[in-house]
Amino acid sequence: MTTETLLQRATEILAPFSKGNNNPETNRLDVEIEASDLPSATAALMDNQWGYLSAITPTDLGKEVNKLELLYHFCEGAAITSLRIYLPREDQPDVPTISDQIPVASFFERELGEMLGVHVVGTPDSSRLFLPDDWPDGVYPLREEFSMEQAAPVEPRETLPEMGRVGNKFTVPIGPQHPALKEPGHFEFAVDGEIITGARMRLGYVHRGIEKATEKRNWIQNLYLLERICGICSHTHTSAYAMGAEKLAQVEVPPRALAIREIVAGLERIHSHLLWLGVAAHEAGFDTLFMYSWRDRETVMDLLETLTGNRVNYSITVLGGVKYDFTAEHSRAIHKAMNYLEERIRYYLHIVTTDASFLQRTRGIGTMTLEEAKYFGALGPTARASGLERDVRIDSPYGAYHRFPVSLITDERGDLEARFEVRMKELLVSCFTIRTIVDNLPPGELAVRFPRKVPAGETVSRVEAPRGEAFYYIKSGGGESPVRLKIRTPSLCNWTSALNKAVGHQLADVPMLIAGMDPCFSCNDRMITVRRKNDSHTLTWSQMREYGIKKYASIREPK
Amino acid sequence: MNVSQNYVSQLMGRITTWARVNSPWAIHFNSGSCNGCDIEILATLTPRYDIERFGIKLRGSPRHADVLICTGPVTRQARERLLRTYEQMPDPKFVVAVGSCGISGGVFQGCYNIVGHINEVLPVDAFIPGCPPRPEAIIDGIVKLLTHLQNGTRPEPIQFAPQETA
Ligand code: SF4
Repeated sequence: MTTETLLQRATEILAPFSKGNNNPETNRLDVEIEASDLPSATAALMDNQWGYLSAITPTDLGKEVNKLELLYHFCEGAAITSLRIYLPREDQPDVPTISDQIPVASFFERELGEMLGVHVVGTPDSSRLFLPDDWPDGVYPLREEFSMEQAAPVEPRETLPEMGRVGNKFTVPIGPQHPALKEPGHFEFAVDGEIITGARMRLGYVHRGIEKATEKRNWIQNLYLLERICGICSHTHTSAYAMGAEKLAQVEVPPRALAIREIVAGLERIHSHLLWLGVAAHEAGFDTLFMYSWRDRETVMDLLETLTGNRVNYSITVLGGVKYDFTAEHSRAIHKAMNYLEERIRYYLHIVTTDASFLQRTRGIGTMTLEEAKYFGALGPTARASGLERDVRIDSPYGAYHRFPVSLITDERGDLEARFEVRMKELLVSCFTIRTIVDNLPPGELAVRFPRKVPAGETVSRVEAPRGEAFYYIKSGGGESPVRLKIRTPSLCNWTSALNKAVGHQLADVPMLIAGMDPCFSCNDRMITVRRKNDSHTLTWSQMREYGIKKYASIREPK
Repeated sequence: MNVSQNYVSQLMGRITTWARVNSPWAIHFNSGSCNGCDIEILATLTPRYDIERFGIKLRGSPRHADVLICTGPVTRQARERLLRTYEQMPDPKFVVAVGSCGISGGVFQGCYNIVGHINEVLPVDAFIPGCPPRPEAIIDGIVKLLTHLQNGTRPEPIQFAPQETA
């Protein structure tokens, strides 16, 4: 279906609730609805299989307008439908929950509550997700009147109340010293014997308040701030931001610059997936593979360095283009490196699909069916390993992906093994695409001028990060800095599926299950406290990991 | 203390210094970094850089560690965990701050959830600048710290001007 027909259908589906429609961009439909209609409007979209909930953007429109605005963004292919709700600005306005229909919404709703002070009626968990324990109640960082003085630390409160303990269940908290992308998290698993019966999490150890900070920095400064959301997918963030800003400023980026951006995105995917392969192998106790894959990852790091001058946070993107050009020397180096990597990746693909002891940790573990992947809103390779065809590069090609398309890799099995396979095959695709672009690099300018002030407007830009779709909503008021910038990173969505899939598995599988969704691990160590009924003791993540490895080793070698 | 006791204690001191300098164990703590520094620290472990040449090993538990390698600015939520990790380490302990964020708060200065840089929370012995520093720089920083230890000195503490809040 084309984008127009998709939007046409969405208009029809939402007609009974609509208080007014408009099309802010050609691929977007904006439907204003009453807050009380939200559950039924969502249900109508879901019943008609129209899209998935990608993000919720809460904005404070300020004292003058005296309203809060919530945007519920649903995406299908390249089409985006946003449900727009206006709420009164006084303390704690009500909005009904939709997390009973869409589980991933519960994270977004927790964010609504703590960031903007919206009271989500009926949401299953309204505890804090990002803000610190010593943050005062009733102070909301995204409100216009927020100032640092209001946020003076108060007596810390327990943000995760104890999970109910029944019979001989106990709770295993993991974290927070845990190396997720944007956010190290704290998890709690309720366990009955060996089997996990419940799971939940708390983020915010790495929450820095970047969304708010963007409002104080100008368009160019933001590029470098946003790059540092995540050192592993820094290029994703700069591309998403630059694309949005360029759309708003109506700047046409030269094709050569777009192609170079795609090359760097491809290299970033290779470095990220190889990094993940190493970390996941380490969690399974397969340290040889960890060392191998990280050794080969250095090939990509060298390429990134020769191309951009930096190994991490490459800063190749500027608003309006790219900074560095591509020479014949680079292309020779890339060809050589791609040949080498392709061979290595084939070898890894062979290992992860044949090594018996490795397969014991991955085959049939954490299986997620297609329906579940859809229901939990999984993204990226995690979703594609369950057969869900969801890839922004293909659904809604941006940048140079029109000209240099990539092929979609999916798998039907949905277990950990499938996720390994999908990622490795994606690397082969990346190698192939990079080569094609290098050989057919369009000539021309590298960058065009970008204005200091960006015309008022709002836009959505979506980019496929190594871990799934990254979602940016950018609103400009015509000034030197954005009025509102909303970022939703893929890992946040994948947590829902990982936590839900953990239920019913053994505690020993937890490291692999978490590593399997690639929550942007940097393999650092976490503290785990095992609380039994009467005693409580602390384990480190490595002890936890060893526990998993030993357990499987004992299954392997019958005593 | 008689002469032979004195000799023994000196010898013991030399042996512990020798052992400490040749096999410092480290723990890594991310108190709000973007992961850029963390992946570079991890890269130092891998074959290309191989920090184990210097006997340095990354450990999971603070109770085994001599060196605390910190990355990132300190967020409000992580501050207490950082202090707790530091307190759990046996004496003598050393702190290395990796990356611009850890040194000054970097790009995140003035964000509402940031307490400040690492030196505001813990006494830092070595600063390794860069965003992120290259693995070579990280190794160099740690080796410099070890050289100080070998000479029986501790790096001079650095005084910072108070940080401006935006
Ligand atoms: S110094 Fe740079 S790379 Fe390191 S954590 Fe800070 S922003 Fe990330």
